[in-house]
Amino acid sequence: MACVYIPVQNSEEEVRVSLDQLPRDATDILDILKAEQAPLDLWLIIAREYFKQGKIEQFQQILEEGSSPEIDEYYGDVRYERIAILNALGSYHSYLGKVETRRREKDEHFIAATQYYNKASRIDPHEPSTWIGKGLLCLVKHDLTQAYGQFKIALDEVPSYVPALLGQACVEFHRKNYSDALKLYKTALRVFPNCPAAVRLGIGLCHYQMGQLGRARQAFERVLQLDPENVDALVALGITDLQTNHADGIQNGMEKLQRAFEIYPYCVMALNHLANHFFFTGQHFLVEQLTETALAVSNHGLMKSQAYYNLARSYHSKGDFEKAGVYYMASVKEIEKPKDFVLPFYGLGQVQLKLGDFRSSLSNFEKVLEVHPESCETLKVVGHIYVQLGQTDKALESIRKATRVDPRDAQAFLELGELLISTDAGAALDAFKTARSLFQKGYEEVPIELLNNIGVLQFERGEFELAEQTFQEALGEGIWLSLIDGKFGHRNVESSALAVQYRDLTLFHELEEDGVSLELPLYKVTTLFNLARLLEQLHDTEKANLLYRLILFKYPDYVDAYLRLAALAKDRNNIQLSIDLIKDALKVDDKCPNALSMLGDLELKSDDWVKAKDTLRAAREAADGKDSYATLSLGNWNYFAAVRSEKRGPKLEATHLEKAKELYIKVLVEHPGNLYAANGAGVVLAEKGQFDVSKDIFTQVQEAASGNIFVQMPDVWINLAHVYFAQGHFALAVKMYQNCLRKFYYNTDTQVLLYLARTHYEAEQWQDCKKTLLRVIHLAPSNYTLRFDVGVAMQKFSASTLQKTKRSADEVRSTVSELRNAVRIFSQLSAATSYHFHGFDEKKIETHVGYCKHLLDAAKVHCEAAEREEQQNRQRLEVARQVTLAEEARRKAEEQRKVQMERRKQEDELKQVMQQEQNFERVKEQWKSTNGGKRKDRSHADDDEGGHSERRRRKGGKRRRKSRKDRYEEEEPEYGHEEMDDRDVHPVEDRENDGADDAQDILQAAGLEDSDADDDAAGGLSAIDRRRRAWSESDEDETAERPESPMGGEKGNSDENQESGDGREGQGKSNRYIESDEEAD
Amino acid sequence: MKLAGLKSVENAHDESIWAVDWVPATDRRPALLLTGALDETVRLWKPDELSREGTPLGGHCLGVVSVAAHPSGAIAASASLDSFVRVFDVDSGATIATLEAPPSEVWGMRFDPKGNTLAVAGGGSASIKLWDTSTWQLIATLNVPRPEATRPSDKSVVGKFVLSVAWSPDGKRLACGSVDGTVSIFDVARAKFLHHLEGHYMPVRSLVFSPSDPRVLFTASDDGHIHIYDSEGKSLIGAMSGHSSWVLCVDVSPDGAAVATGSSDRTVRLWDLSMRAAAQTMTNHSDQVWGVAFRPPGGAGVRSGRLASVSDDKSISLYDYS
Repeated sequence: MACVYIPVQNSEEEVRVSLDQLPRDATDILDILKAEQAPLDLWLIIAREYFKQGKIEQFQQILEEGSSPEIDEYYGDVRYERIAILNALGSYHSYLGKVETRRREKDEHFIAATQYYNKASRIDPHEPSTWIGKGLLCLVKHDLTQAYGQFKIALDEVPSYVPALLGQACVEFHRKNYSDALKLYKTALRVFPNCPAAVRLGIGLCHYQMGQLGRARQAFERVLQLDPENVDALVALGITDLQTNHADGIQNGMEKLQRAFEIYPYCVMALNHLANHFFFTGQHFLVEQLTETALAVSNHGLMKSQAYYNLARSYHSKGDFEKAGVYYMASVKEIEKPKDFVLPFYGLGQVQLKLGDFRSSLSNFEKVLEVHPESCETLKVVGHIYVQLGQTDKALESIRKATRVDPRDAQAFLELGELLISTDAGAALDAFKTARSLFQKGYEEVPIELLNNIGVLQFERGEFELAEQTFQEALGEGIWLSLIDGKFGHRNVESSALAVQYRDLTLFHELEEDGVSLELPLYKVTTLFNLARLLEQLHDTEKANLLYRLILFKYPDYVDAYLRLAALAKDRNNIQLSIDLIKDALKVDDKCPNALSMLGDLELKSDDWVKAKDTLRAAREAADGKDSYATLSLGNWNYFAAVRSEKRGPKLEATHLEKAKELYIKVLVEHPGNLYAANGAGVVLAEKGQFDVSKDIFTQVQEAASGNIFVQMPDVWINLAHVYFAQGHFALAVKMYQNCLRKFYYNTDTQVLLYLARTHYEAEQWQDCKKTLLRVIHLAPSNYTLRFDVGVAMQKFSASTLQKTKRSADEVRSTVSELRNAVRIFSQLSAATSYHFHGFDEKKIETHVGYCKHLLDAAKVHCEAAEREEQQNRQRLEVARQVTLAEEARRKAEEQRKVQMERRKQEDELKQVMQQEQNFERVKEQWKSTNGGKRKDRSHADDDEGGHSERRRRKGGKRRRKSRKDRYEEEEPEYGHEEMDDRDVHPVEDRENDGADDAQDILQAAGLEDSDADDDAAGGLSAIDRRRRAWSESDEDETAERPESPMGGEKGNSDENQESGDGREGQGKSNRYIESDEEAD
Repeated sequence: MKLAGLKSVENAHDESIWAVDWVPATDRRPALLLTGALDETVRLWKPDELSREGTPLGGHCLGVVSVAAHPSGAIAASASLDSFVRVFDVDSGATIATLEAPPSEVWGMRFDPKGNTLAVAGGGSASIKLWDTSTWQLIATLNVPRPEATRPSDKSVVGKFVLSVAWSPDGKRLACGSVDGTVSIFDVARAKFLHHLEGHYMPVRSLVFSPSDPRVLFTASDDGHIHIYDSEGKSLIGAMSGHSSWVLCVDVSPDGAAVATGSSDRTVRLWDLSMRAAAQTMTNHSDQVWGVAFRPPGGAGVRSGRLASVSDDKSISLYDYS
């Protein structure tokens, strides 16, 4: 039992004051102290005792009394005790200032503390303990430099003054100069080996901070040996134990922390760590208790921050995001630099992300990244947030970095792939594949979404087989396998019931009755749908059809499956069925823009214009004008309305065109990359005759359209060809049409073939035109207009042949047969009109028949003339041939003679050289004369023939020269023969005068007639006008096929699950700049 | 089952080849291949070596759209876009008769299995014309009834445009395919229309009865599908898809186990009927394949199966079928 004895003044007696029984009222003690004039150290002891017992008021009362001016006066020469009292007060106020949170009060405490210390200094400026107090005050005020200075002064006063050493060590520790701090602590220890355990604690902490855990442990253990109740050492040891991360270590650590907690339940550090532990063991109640205590007792920012963090984490894990957010926020507020304690930033970021506050979340995660730039998780989260914010580039950067940091993180590759899908499908596929192999390496199940995405990408790259494998891998076992293998497909279907086969689900009902499991988990539907799309692409329509129906059987609300079935029906020209299917889809969702758009398209196809317009408008409204397909369709509608109307009003047409243009441009403004809108705009411009601009547009669209299997835009090729045509570049147009036919239509599109024929016609390539038209008839047998066109082409061909100034009898003969065919075709057509309505006037056909017959008569005369001429020609040729033959014979004889002479010459040579020379001279002479004679003969022959063409003569001459070089070795008869051939082929130049005149008259007649026809067909009007005129004569029958369906691609968007990035088929829409298709007469 | 390419003749005609048929073997010669083309000629080819037999036969204006050989092998018919049918002696090439039934045009034609009648698809006349092969007189016109208008407003309903014909192996039934996709079945003996088979909505350019099961009819349509119908029961037995464009022609193997089809997608496909799936795809043609024909069995020492195909690319290809 500790007690103090207060000596009674002027006696030997003492008053015994038991320290643990100090009176509640300090005045009692003070009275005694004052009365007995007790030494000041007793005052201090008693005050300290009060303080220890938590009786702060009494403590303060005694000390304030003890430092009052009366005391100064009375105990004037007791210096040290007075200083000690002042220092105690200063230190007390320093402490108060430290704990105080309100700034003003804090400052007041600090000022008070300073005053006390200054007063102490005034009593003795050399007292080191005052300097220590001042140093500590500076420490509390975080003025490290000044604190260091104060401690230094104390050391100057008293070298190796332990408290100063410790103070300096503390400063160094705070400055993170752990080794310096350690040195100071060691010095202190050496100077004062029996110093409190806390010094060793400092040593331990220094070692700990320097990463020397073993030494730190030793120091802490030493502390505990000296002071088994030292909470700080217990906590420190506990933490080091916890950090070993072994079950044993954690166990030990927890025990130590618990002991610390038992010894002193307000140690924040222990509380935090315990809370942390209980968080992991899931004892949230304890966590809250502990952290609340920690918060109540702690004044240290970081500690509080940790406590808040524990609390937040506890709520976070319980799913109370609001509260978690609040506590994370509180935690973050306690942190000065994220570097000190970064976890709450992460937590706060998570909660904010969860609550949808992306920007705040992002800034928190970025703080985490500042501290841990290589944190994979954080990089991924940041990437994800950037995606949400639409900043794809930054997102890519983060995720890429994450994959670089940890090339084994499948999740990161998955995210990378998803990011890349829209921009770089190839890279996305690679990323997905990496993710897949990482999953497989880790023996984890590959997520179906991942496989689905891989499949879709392969699909888009045209790797259909791979895609099919991938989809099947994703789907695994199931009823679909049997369906794909075709096990259940064969059910006899009543032929009349076939119309509903696409909507028929009885197959599945039957299968279910048969006990076949039709399990189709929801998460597999998307992939199954994609597989069906793939089968469709592979033209395995029947299987695709079954799969779509299976989807609908299980999930009757799956609109896209209806739409694909409708598209399939539409492809097979079963319009009614297609419409019914779309109506099924609309039953599920009567505002589905896709279904409405498609319905509008079909209505357009079945020529239901007004309805189509309403439907398309509804589609546009349903999509809030955001679906460009509907807008485009309306644009197309207007365009077709402009160019089709039978009762053509230029005003109406202009309005429609303008409206169409407006709609196209609207789409372009929203989506500058929309090919179809660009194409549409090009079409409108072309309609207005701005060919150069439209050509540019079409060329760009064409470039853009190539390279994606989902974008099939033959229309732009056709439009380009039309522009070439309109500008008179027929050869280019022909090329373009042919390429388009080949590339997109397997040469089956009759419309394009018709364009091609038309181009040939304009280019006056009659035979090509005719052949093309015959092909079209073969492809589209029921289109009688084509027969009419062929008739016109043949008529035109004949007329132009007869107009030619040079023509052979063969030509004339073929012309005659062509004309007969034309007459037959026209007559057949006119007969056929009795039971068909083709849209051309019978009278017109009659006119054609009449004209052809007239031509035929004329041609007969021509034919006779030509034949007669040919006959004469033949005779002439015969004469010429005989002449040539005679000449030939003559020449041969001469040659022989020459040879003989030469032989003789050689013989002579042997005998006489002189004579030989003479001989030679003579031979030369002879030679010359032969040549001359021949030439002369030749010219005679030419005269006889009446002057053949220049070319032949030249050829003949050349030949002759060559022959001469060859020393007549060549067979001459061949030469003659060739000449004959030549003559046969050559156009006959001169004809009998009267015959020519006759022909001329007829030709003139024909020409006149013809030019009439021309006027209609090709006269000054623009191509468009011509077409219009042609169209204005059209009938219902033809219009049905003329405004070629504006909708190119099927509209079937594969899935609502966009994340899975499935095969989203382009919302195909197209339109054609329709040129005049038939030959208008 | 398998197809193996034997031989191809490039530029067999000067223009697109549109029609092919086998002229059955006679006592004096083996079966011959008969082709018709846009170049207005009809040509005959020796089997296997595919060398030309005789000179090209003219006599047509506009393109030759179909050829048909009489089961005797002695005579054949060819028809062109000018709506004339020319019947000629196969060995001499001499014209036997020229048939015309204006204003009916001429598309597909087939001799009946006994060789007494030539059935000609009459195009826009919505009828099949039957010609007696001894007198070459028109003996009957089988009219395809107009379908009742599904919608009263629909004025576009006109008569069916008949494109193709096929005889049942017993000669009792005639089937014809039309542009709108319907297939009509006739009772030949009573010259009576029986019923329609529905399912196609695009032109049926070719159809053929199974030799093994006379009720079974195969149809090829522009919708890319081959349908298998029970022609008597009016029901669709199956549908096969796989061509990526129009299916232009179909023929069934003599054993009835396979059908071959030619398509605008430039391929010839062999379909295994037991699996109802494509067994093989031949890609040797470079343009639309307009005709496929299995060689009929018979003839001296000829056992192996042959399939011929002709195409817009002006070539003929011959395959071994086993």
